[in-house]
Amino acid sequence: MRVLLVEDEARLADQLADTLRGAGYAVDATRDGEEGWFLGDTEPYDAVVLDLGLPSLDGISILRKWRSAGRAMPVIILTARGAWSDKVTGLDAGADDYLAKPFQPEELLARLRALIRRSSGVATPEIACDGVVLDTKTAKVTVDGRPVMLTSHEFKVLSYLMHHKGRVVPRTELTEHVYAQDFDRDSNTIEVFIGRLRRKLGVDIIKTVRGLGYIVEEPG
Amino acid sequence: MTRARSLRHRLVLGAAAWIVVALVAGALVITELFRGHLERQVYADLGHHLDQLIAGLEVGPDGTLGLARQLSDPRFRKPYSGLYWQVDGMQQGGILRSRSLWDDMLGLPPDEIERDQAHHHTLSGPADQSLLVLERTVTLPSAQAVRVAVAADAAQVEGVLTAFGRILAVSFAALGLGLLAAAGVQVVLALRPLNALRRRLAEVRDGRSARLAGDFPGEVQPLVDDLNALMEHDAALVERARVQAGNLAHGLKTPLAILANEADALDRKGAHEQAAVLREQVMRMQRMIDYQLAQARAAAAREVPGIRCRLGECVDGLRRALERLHAGRGLLIETDVPDALLFRGEREDCEEILGNLLDNACKWARSRVRLTADSEGDEVRVLIDDDGPGIDAAARAAAFERGRRMDEAVPGSGLGLAIVRDLVELYRGRIALADSPLGGLRVDLRLPAARATEPAVVKPQPARQGGGP
Repeated sequence: MRVLLVEDEARLADQLADTLRGAGYAVDATRDGEEGWFLGDTEPYDAVVLDLGLPSLDGISILRKWRSAGRAMPVIILTARGAWSDKVTGLDAGADDYLAKPFQPEELLARLRALIRRSSGVATPEIACDGVVLDTKTAKVTVDGRPVMLTSHEFKVLSYLMHHKGRVVPRTELTEHVYAQDFDRDSNTIEVFIGRLRRKLGVDIIKTVRGLGYIVEEPG
Repeated sequence: MTRARSLRHRLVLGAAAWIVVALVAGALVITELFRGHLERQVYADLGHHLDQLIAGLEVGPDGTLGLARQLSDPRFRKPYSGLYWQVDGMQQGGILRSRSLWDDMLGLPPDEIERDQAHHHTLSGPADQSLLVLERTVTLPSAQAVRVAVAADAAQVEGVLTAFGRILAVSFAALGLGLLAAAGVQVVLALRPLNALRRRLAEVRDGRSARLAGDFPGEVQPLVDDLNALMEHDAALVERARVQAGNLAHGLKTPLAILANEADALDRKGAHEQAAVLREQVMRMQRMIDYQLAQARAAAAREVPGIRCRLGECVDGLRRALERLHAGRGLLIETDVPDALLFRGEREDCEEILGNLLDNACKWARSRVRLTADSEGDEVRVLIDDDGPGIDAAARAAAFERGRRMDEAVPGSGLGLAIVRDLVELYRGRIALADSPLGGLRVDLRLPAARATEPAVVKPQPARQGGGP
């Protein structure tokens, strides 16, 4: 899962980026409003954490521009102004959730998980398929109750595929959602991750659709 | 306003005093003038009689005085008729008197005056009459000097004067009353703008208007302009203080967020105790900031006259927001707010109160949240129901109690009622918890209403500085 973080306060931005990366997200962070808008407008993100008070372009304007351009990724607003009147303004501008500063990092992660699940149509915090259970809360994977240790990238690949269960995910899309922007992408490494995942899980829930991509099929 | 009445009293009393003084003085002057005129007339008549008397005087061969012919006026012959004459021969010729003097005589004062000069006295005469006397000392052809006097009863003058005075008093009294009534009317008319001013001020005080509206006379308008300027200055001060308080509060939030994140990092490094302390203090500061911010805002809003907001618009915005925030839970949020309902206060505060309560209801509700509002007297009554687990009666008071103690800020405590309760109290509203017919909790809220008929006041929205980092 790839997340865009737009926050102009350097220290908070670093902390949040760390928190998000620690939770298994690929994170693009920017402190500039214009750049934030551009990234959100051009890159495929699974969620955006957006501060409202930004230099060059404020959060509400960014949000309005994205929404009017048809960008529908879930956006959680982060702001010092936590009054309901501000929430109404933010949500009316197209935000999906609202978090007032100060906040606990877990709170942000919980909201983000819920948003991503909701936007990919997953109802529960745990996504299961043929005995493989991915707990979005703890970022842990079990097979028939037995924990499986995955690297960060392996988890990202599996998480994205399981969030989009029943749909063929092209390799390029997978790459876009697994790596942060500044990462040196090599689509061949995806194949390597898929291979490792198949080995570690022991069950073959990830199918290769030749020429198209990968799919985790709905059971039954 | 007793002061306005006393001003009116003062003006009317002043006018009355002046009218009475002027009329009394006028009456006295007129009476005196009239008396002078009457006396001059009497003396003129007496002068004729005197001339006639002198012309008729003769001296007998023995030197005795005599009167060649009777004076023409018959009153000289009727006793005590009020018209008399007397000729004093000064030792030589004896004294001649009119018959009307009967056995009395005119006690002329012994005065030395130039001969042939007529002069007058006021003497008391027969039958206690007060007499106007015209006297002249003449030298007869026999070189004999005689004092010739003619007198008339002053009562005839007084009688005319009394009758005149009576008419004068009645007409002046009528004139005085008329003037007094005119003065009263004038005072009322002149003070009417002040009454209007009083009503406008009352509107401002009741929060129905932000400034003194309307045109006033040139004498009052400067005062009105000054008052308006003062109120605008006041509002601007309040607004600036408010914006500054807001900027300060919001400026603190990002550093607090950093601290909260740092607490988390500490936790991960195993420094659980320090992390807990840090987290607790961050929460405490946050609650304090929120509390003081709300206080500053609501206290300011109460002082800003004419402030109001449409309840329905607040609720619509909140419903949209909450439907988004609780999307995916399949909550049904029903709202029923009459369009005309106005809350007398800041829109932000209205949204803060209802937003917290609705959000709370949404968090606990299983499937339904309902907000209904209606006007009750000069209040707006809002009911917020949910079909959640509710709170039993014993715990309801505690839900409020916890909110009241700022220093006890337990993380995640209560139902977000603290700020709500503070705001409601600041607006002198009421809030109560009850069982909901939907099965969960009912919040019964009463807030001050603004009347729809009053002209709306557009509050200047100050530019927010930055919007928080």
